[in-house]
Amino acid sequence: MRTSLIVAAPLLAVLVLPGIAGAQDGRGAPPAGRGAAPAAYPPYARPVSTFVAPRTADGQPDISGLYIAIPLPRGIETPLVPMPGRAPNRANGEFSYSLNERPKLPEGAITRPVGVDPPDGKIPLTPEALARRKQIIANQEKIEYLDGRVLCLAPGVPRTTIAAPVVGYQIFQKPGYVVIFYEQNHLYRTIPLDGRAPLDPNIRKAMGVSRGHWDGNVLVVEVTNFTNNLSNNWVIGAVSATPGVPAESLTTGHGIPHSDLYRVTERYTPIDANTIHYEARIDDPKVFTQPWTIAYYAFARAPKNYVPVEYACFEGNDKNLLLMTNTDITGVRVAVP
Amino acid sequence: MEKPITTIGAAGLAVLTVGMAAAVAHAQRGATPPRAPAAQTASTYSGPRAPDRKPDLNGIWQVLGSAHWNVEAHSASEGVPAGFSVVEGGTIPYQPWALAKRNENFQNRLVADPLRKCYMPGVPRAMYLPFPFEITQTANHVLIAYEFAHATRTIFLDATPHMEDLDFWMGDARGKWDGDTLVVDTVSLGDKTWFDEAGNFHSDALKVVERFTPMDAAHINYEATIDDSKVFTRPWKMSMIVYRRLEKNLELLDYECAEHVYEKLFKKPGSTP
Repeated sequence: MRTSLIVAAPLLAVLVLPGIAGAQDGRGAPPAGRGAAPAAYPPYARPVSTFVAPRTADGQPDISGLYIAIPLPRGIETPLVPMPGRAPNRANGEFSYSLNERPKLPEGAITRPVGVDPPDGKIPLTPEALARRKQIIANQEKIEYLDGRVLCLAPGVPRTTIAAPVVGYQIFQKPGYVVIFYEQNHLYRTIPLDGRAPLDPNIRKAMGVSRGHWDGNVLVVEVTNFTNNLSNNWVIGAVSATPGVPAESLTTGHGIPHSDLYRVTERYTPIDANTIHYEARIDDPKVFTQPWTIAYYAFARAPKNYVPVEYACFEGNDKNLLLMTNTDITGVRVAVP
Repeated sequence: MEKPITTIGAAGLAVLTVGMAAAVAHAQRGATPPRAPAAQTASTYSGPRAPDRKPDLNGIWQVLGSAHWNVEAHSASEGVPAGFSVVEGGTIPYQPWALAKRNENFQNRLVADPLRKCYMPGVPRAMYLPFPFEITQTANHVLIAYEFAHATRTIFLDATPHMEDLDFWMGDARGKWDGDTLVVDTVSLGDKTWFDEAGNFHSDALKVVERFTPMDAAHINYEATIDDSKVFTRPWKMSMIVYRRLEKNLELLDYECAEHVYEKLFKKPGSTP
C-alpha cells in the first residue's frame, strides 16, 4: 500500500526519503552487516573552531546569509541497527536528497552517527514513552498518527534543522535578534538575544519559543513552550518507520513523542566561513530517562545560483491525505478571527 | 479555478510549477507594472534609521480596522465589525462579470474563503489580517514574518528581476527605496487568494505595487495599487495605516491554522493528545 501511495503522491515520494538516519559522511564508516557488531566510532567531541566570524553592526558574530542543508547520507546506520552492507551508491539513495552541487564537509570533520549521546545510539525513552512510540509506529498509516510533517504541521526543533528535501535556510541578524527563515514550509524563528524571560507556559508555539545568546562565536538557543496538542507534533523523527527497526532506534525516528516539558538547547558553531555545525541537547523528563544529544554539520553556504522559493505545503495537501489515509479534509473549514 | 500547482502542493512545488505557470508569466509580460503616485519629494520622516540611512522598519506591526472582513464600506454583521472603505474612490472597479462573481463569492464566503481552508493569505491581504507581523530589514532584504499560518515574504532589494514561470501564494516580491518610501513590486500571485472575507478577488494577472511610507517611528502609510486587467476596468488603490506594536518584549505567537483543521477533524473535544 505504501509503495503505491509514494508513487501517487509527490509530497511523500520526496519526504519519505530522509530520516534522521545515520552518520554524516559514510566514507569513513566501516561496512556493517545485519547482526554485525556495532561499528566503532570515536567518542563525540564538540568541533574546535578557530574561525572568527566578522561582526555585525551590533557586535554579533555575523553568520547571516543563505545556506543549504548538508545531506545526511543514508545507508549508514547508527551502531544500534546495522543494516545490510552495500556499497554507497547515489542512485540507490545514498544521500538523503540530491543537489547538483553537494556541499562538502570541512576538512578534518569527524564522521560519526548523528546521535552522539548516549553513546549506544539509543533514544533513552521511558517505558511509557516507548509503549507510546510503539503504538504510534503500529498505527502510522492512520491520520491520527501520521507524521506531522506530512500533515504540513510545523515540525519543530530540532527537526527543521535535519536535512530535508527543501533545504534552504536564510539566516538574518538585526540588533538584538537572529532570525531564521526556513525554506521548508515557509517556517521562521525569531530568536531574541536580550536575555528576556521565558513565556508563560500556557503559550505554546509549534516551533517553540527561542531564547538565544552568543557564547563566543557559538549561538546558543534554549527552546521551550512547544505545542503538544496533537498526536502528530513530533519535534524529531522520520516520516515512516522501517519494518523491524526497534522503537528505541533513532535511525528511524518515527513518532518520538514529547511532553509539555520538552526543551532543546541548540548550539550553532561556525566552523569556517561556509559551514555551521549543529548540536541539539534534547530533554524531556516525562519522555526520556536522561537528556540526549544529536550533532552534525548542518549548514553550508548555498551555491551562488541557489534561490529559495515558496514551499506551499498545506495548500492542496488534501489530495495526498486522501490517497494516503483515505481521509477527506476538503470540507473542513476553520474560523479565522 | 483549481490549478495543479496547488492541488499537488507541498514539496513538489518548486519542480512542478516550472511548466505550469508559463501561461501566467506569458500573460504578465507586455503590460508594465502600475505606478503609484510619486512620493513626496521632501520626506518628513523623523523616526529611526538603519545603518544605511534608510528608515528602520524592524519590529512588530499591525493594521487596525476591518479591511480583512471587507475592504469596501460595510455595516457590522455577526462576528464582523463595521468599517470604512480602504479603497480609493470607495468601490472596486470590477468588470460586470467579475462583480457578479464577487457577489457569488460573498454568498459562499463561509466555505469559499481560502483563509478558512488555512491557505496562505496572499498579498495584500496578509498585511491587514487581524494578526501582527514582524519586519526584519537588511540592506538587501525586507523580510516579513506573519503570525497567521507562519506565512512569510522575502522582499529582495538587490535589483534582481522577478523569477519567470513560477507561481507563489505570497508572490514574488522585489523592492527598492524611493527616498524614504519602500516600494515593493509583487507578481506571480496566482488566482487563489482573496482580498478579504467578503469575496473580493483577482485573477492570475494580478500585480501589486505597495508603498510603505514611514510617517514617524510608529506609523507607516501603506498603499497598495492593484492591477489586474482580467478582473478590473482599471488599476485601483487601497490605503491604510500600519501601527507599530509597542508592548514591551512583544513577540509573534502562533496561529497555526492547519493544526486547527486537524483538531477539528480527529481530536475529540477536551481529549489529551
